[in-house]
Amino acid sequence: MSQILPSPLLSVRDLCVGFDTDAGFLVAVDGVSFDIPRGGTIGIVGESGCGKSVTAFSIMGLLPRPAGRIVSGSIVFDGEELASASEARMRGIRGRRIGMIYQEPMSALNPVRSIGSQMMEALLLHEPLSKKAAFDRCAELLDRVGIPSARARLAAYPHQLSGGMRQRVMIAMALSCGPDLLIADEPTTALDVTIQAQILELLHKLREDAGMALALITHDLGVIAQNCAEVLVMYAGRVVERAPVNEVFESPAHLYTKGLLESIPRLDTGRKSVLPTIPGMVPGLKDLPEGARFAPRSPHPKAAAYIASEAYRSVRPPLVELSPGHWVEDCEVVRV
Amino acid sequence: MRDYFIRRFLLIPPTLLGITILVFFIARAMPGGPLEQALMQAQMAQQMGGEMRMGQRTGQGSNITPRQREQLAALYGYDKPWYLAYAQWLGDVVRGDLGKSFRYQKPVWEMIGNCMPVSIYYGLVTLVLTYGVCIPLGIVKAIKHRTWMDSTSSVLVFAGYAVPGYVLGALLLLYFSFDLGWLPRRGFIGEEYEGIGLWQAIGDPAISAPGLLWSLVKHSILPLCCYMVGSFAVLTMLMKNSLMDNLAADYMRTAVGKGMDFRKAVVRHALRNSLIPIATGFGNNISLFLTGSFLIEKIFNINGFGLLGFNSVVDYDYPVVMGVLLLSSVLLLLGNILSDMLVALVDPRIRFT
Ligand SMILES: Nc1ncnc2c1ncn2[C@@H]1O[C@H](COP(=O)(O)OP(=O)(O)OP(=O)(O)O)[C@@H](O)[C@H]1O
Ligand SMILES: [Mg+2]
Repeated sequence: MSQILPSPLLSVRDLCVGFDTDAGFLVAVDGVSFDIPRGGTIGIVGESGCGKSVTAFSIMGLLPRPAGRIVSGSIVFDGEELASASEARMRGIRGRRIGMIYQEPMSALNPVRSIGSQMMEALLLHEPLSKKAAFDRCAELLDRVGIPSARARLAAYPHQLSGGMRQRVMIAMALSCGPDLLIADEPTTALDVTIQAQILELLHKLREDAGMALALITHDLGVIAQNCAEVLVMYAGRVVERAPVNEVFESPAHLYTKGLLESIPRLDTGRKSVLPTIPGMVPGLKDLPEGARFAPRSPHPKAAAYIASEAYRSVRPPLVELSPGHWVEDCEVVRV
Repeated sequence: MRDYFIRRFLLIPPTLLGITILVFFIARAMPGGPLEQALMQAQMAQQMGGEMRMGQRTGQGSNITPRQREQLAALYGYDKPWYLAYAQWLGDVVRGDLGKSFRYQKPVWEMIGNCMPVSIYYGLVTLVLTYGVCIPLGIVKAIKHRTWMDSTSSVLVFAGYAVPGYVLGALLLLYFSFDLGWLPRRGFIGEEYEGIGLWQAIGDPAISAPGLLWSLVKHSILPLCCYMVGSFAVLTMLMKNSLMDNLAADYMRTAVGKGMDFRKAVVRHALRNSLIPIATGFGNNISLFLTGSFLIEKIFNINGFGLLGFNSVVDYDYPVVMGVLLLSSVLLLLGNILSDMLVALVDPRIRFT
């Protein structure tokens, strides 16, 4: 039975991204696919270095040049292919249709220009406003993201604001042109815990008000539970599990996902109990195997045999669908 | 911030006091000072005269009477202890008098004044040319990093860096002036224009302004090359590296992420940030350029500030040494303050208190 589904806002298919480095060409994102429906939310999780930011920068066309490039795959945004789009075309999309918040609020703003001039710039690039009107809009935006005495703050320089305030400015700037999609790349990692909660709450509220789609990147599954409908778990450049958020929490199918879940601090476990961690480290990008990359860290009894096998070196396990919308890497030794 | 700069200005006099006391003391303590020189000369003259007249040797220094000796000492200020002599010098300076040259018996101010137009001309032109060429070149090199244009200009820049200005001067002179005869060999300006003031030149219909200008340009091409080669590489590479750092900065990604053209982002965001280290060195370079280089001035026989200072040291002409030192110290101190002002101007994070 076929059903006419509305086309997703963003559709990423088999995205492969790599970098030219002194050690040769390294693939940082290897065959990633996912969709974001209009107004929908997706969370991307994974440990440091698994390719989350690289995926986000690929969508924005912001890969560091000339080292980084998209090797293959497609990124279709609102019916338009972005992976091969011209720079001029991308300029019309960045900031206007896709906004982005970056990992490092401390360095993401230009230190020698005022907050106001940087915010106004974002607006004036895409909208035919007078300076005065743009200024007023910026004051309104700052007000919306909860910055007190917004008008006065526009004259401030980044170093005069705290990290949380800067991230609010970044959010205001990303939202200024009313984008259809907001990519938030670990928007709270650099902030302290109370500020983290405030920023996430703000993002949540703004998203609902504006009805835009959100891709939230984090290494904290707890954050995703509150903010996203779907989860994408990445490991060493690949998607290892993709599922609706409640399924991930109720029945994680990949050992890596399970490990991430177990390492979230919980109130109901004993105070003395040690927080479990996933043993081992994310492998480097050099000489990655084709097989299930999590295998060396898997406690599965057959893991050692699998690593020694030819399959580990050369056969890529496909994703299988366990239940509607719940996909997992099809390899025995890394499955729960 | 205003208070900070006022304080900086107020610190100039004590700093100058320290510098001049030190140099004055060292000059006095050094053997072979002007007094000894004068005595030796007098002795030699007498010896030679004596030999010619009578053909007999005279005893050591026997022909200079103690009275003559005292007169000489008084003339050079060696009749009192050094601190009293310094106090006297300082008193004169405060009244605007730098004293008289031992050697030429001319007021020091006049000697400095004579080489000022030359030094200011070379200083300012070098400054403008150096910054005017190095900054754009550095920018282009940063944006076109690792292209053929970057590599070729790097080869030239570093070759220039490896050759000292005076060696380059000698080579250029040999080739363009002596071999080819295209450019004049020496001096600041053609002989026919020498000793003519600027206003006089403009007012006098007999002197053709283009001719004068052309003569000036012809004479300055080679020295300017030598002056520029010194700071050229450092400044160009500083600009390039500074801009490269900023091109890779997160805020550049933010700017492009807003939908801004990369080139525009370079101009609006990276450029100002990359000028911060340039501004830091600006004041220093001003005093460096204005005080000139005696080697280059010597090679091209330009009577500038550098040569004046050098000759005065060689001649033990201490009033001139002190005058030149005072002036270049003032320039250096003012230059440093200017640098701080520029840095504060481009970087809002800097707030001097
Ligand atoms: N410019 C680059 N040159 C070479 N390799 C790079 C470059 N940028 C990223 N990488 C590599 O790509 C991989 C993925 O990096 P990415 O920044 O996407 O990780 P991440 O998942 O965002 O991690 P984090 O949580 O630390 O932000 C890393 O192994 C990193 O070393
Ligand atoms: Mg990241």
